[in-house]
Amino acid sequence: MAAGFKTVEPLEYYRRFLKENCRPDGRELGEFRTTTVNIGSITTADGSALVKLGNTTVICGIKAEFAQPPAESTNKGYIVPNVDLPPLCSSRFRPGPPGEEAQAASQFIADVIENSEIIMKEDLCIAHGKLAWVLYCDFICLDYDGNILDACTFALLAALKNVQLPKVTINEETGLAEVDLKQTNPLNIRKHPVATSFAVFDDTILIVDPTAEEEDLATGTVTIVMDEEGRLCSVHKPGGSGLTAAKLQDCITRAITRHKEVKKLIDKVIKSIKIK
Amino acid sequence: MAGLELLSDEGYRVDGRRAGELRKVRARMGVFAKADGSAYIEQGNTKALAVVYGPHEMRGSRSKALHDRALVNCQYSMATFSTGERKRRPHGDRKSSELTLHLKQTFEAAILTQLYPRSQIDIYVQILQADGGNYCACVNAATLATIDAGIPMRDYVCASSAGFIEDTPLADLNYVEEAAGGPQVALALLPKSDQIALLEMNSRLHEDHLEQVIEAASKACKDVYAVLDQVVRDHVHEVTTLLGE
Repeated sequence: MAAGFKTVEPLEYYRRFLKENCRPDGRELGEFRTTTVNIGSITTADGSALVKLGNTTVICGIKAEFAQPPAESTNKGYIVPNVDLPPLCSSRFRPGPPGEEAQAASQFIADVIENSEIIMKEDLCIAHGKLAWVLYCDFICLDYDGNILDACTFALLAALKNVQLPKVTINEETGLAEVDLKQTNPLNIRKHPVATSFAVFDDTILIVDPTAEEEDLATGTVTIVMDEEGRLCSVHKPGGSGLTAAKLQDCITRAITRHKEVKKLIDKVIKSIKIK
Repeated sequence: MAGLELLSDEGYRVDGRRAGELRKVRARMGVFAKADGSAYIEQGNTKALAVVYGPHEMRGSRSKALHDRALVNCQYSMATFSTGERKRRPHGDRKSSELTLHLKQTFEAAILTQLYPRSQIDIYVQILQADGGNYCACVNAATLATIDAGIPMRDYVCASSAGFIEDTPLADLNYVEEAAGGPQVALALLPKSDQIALLEMNSRLHEDHLEQVIEAASKACKDVYAVLDQVVRDHVHEVTTLLGE
C-alpha cells in the first residue's frame, strides 16, 4: 500500500516523513549515511581509495607521470581530476561521452583542489622549467545513490594521502631523469578539505547527504567545502530555491561538524595502514 | 637468452604456481544496490566488476529491437589506473571494442534470450586492476552478475586462458606470462555440456600441441566453475537465511 502511494505521489509520500522530522531510510534530517573508506587496494595505481557513503560507491585512482611544467609558471606541476559516471553505476547514464553531470563534477573537484590548496603545485616540480609531476586523479562511480560530490572529495583526500612518489634526480651529465623506485615519499598534504552536501525541499527544509531519490525530489542543492582551520574553501549552489543567510549559516555549522567526523575516520584508516 | 624464466627447472612459474594451477579466485555477488545484478571477482591481482541491468525495455532506437529475442548489450571498460602505464582511453579503443564484441557473442550463446523478446539486457564490465586474463575475469564476473540478476542461462560460462612454454601447457596466465609473447589461448566454456562458447588463439602454435593446450584451458575452466558454483550456493544460502525462509 505504501509502495503504491510512493509510486503515484512521491513528493507527498516524502512530505509525510519530513513532517515527522525523519526520512524514509530512518535517518534524521541532519544525519549522514554510514561512511566507509578503503585505501590502497589498487596496486597498479600510485594511490587509490574506495569510499562508500551508504550505497554510493566511488573509487579514486591516482597515477603520476612526468611532464614539462607550463610556460607561464615553470615551477609548478599539474593535478588533473576526472570524474566518470559510467552506465554501470545507474540506469540513468547512457554509454558514450561524459554527460553534463560528470563534467560538472570534474570541474567541481578541480575547483576544490585549486581553492583549498590541498597540495601546492610547487611541490610537484622536480626541475625548474624542465620536469614536473602530473597527478592524474581518476574517479569512477561504481554505484550511484546520490551525493557524488561528497564521496569524490573524500576519495580524493584519502587517495592523495596514500600516494607514494619515487625520488627523482636529474643526472648532471646526461640531463635525463633517474627514478629511484626504492625510495618513495608521500605527498605533502597541506589542507584537508571535506565536502558536505544538502538538498532543499519546498524552499524551506534542509536535509543532509541526499540519496538519489531525494536529489530528484529536491528543489535545490548546496555543497559546502571546509578545511580543518574552519575556512570555507568552496560554496557551490547551482541555482534552485533561494536560501536565507541564516539557513546558509546552519549549513556551515553542520559542515564543520562533518569535517571533524571525516578527519577522524581518515586518520584512523591511515594509521591502520602505517602499522602494517 | 637472459631474462625472466617463465617456467623453472623444478616446474615453478614466476609467481610460484605449478603449470596447471589457477590463481586464487575470490568472488562476491550482489555488491551493488542499484543494479539488477552485480558481481566482483579477483583472480590473483586482476580485479573485475560486472553489473547487469535487465531485462528492460529497449533504450535508444526501438528499431534495433529483435522481435523474437532479447538484445544483449555489453560494454567492456578498463579503469585508467588499472594498468602499469596510465590508459588514456578507457573504452572505445580497438582492443576494448573487440573484447566488448566477444563478450556480447559469448553471452548471447549462453543466455536464454528467446524468453524476452523485444527487450534489452545490459552487461557492463569494468576492470579495476589488470594483471593478465582480463577477458576471462570479465566473463566469470559477468556470469555471476547475470545469475545474481536472475536471468536464465543455459549453463555457467567459465573462462580461462592457457599458454605453452617449453612443451608444457600453462593455465591462467598473468600479465608477465602474457607479455612474454608466446602462444595464448582464451577459452570460454559451458562446463556441464562441455561446449565451447568462445575460443581465441594468438601467436603461433604447432597443431600437434593445440589439443594439449585446449585441454589445459578446459580443465582450468572446470576448476573455475567449481569455485563459482560454490560462491553462488553460499550467496543463495546467505540471502535465504536473511529472508528467514
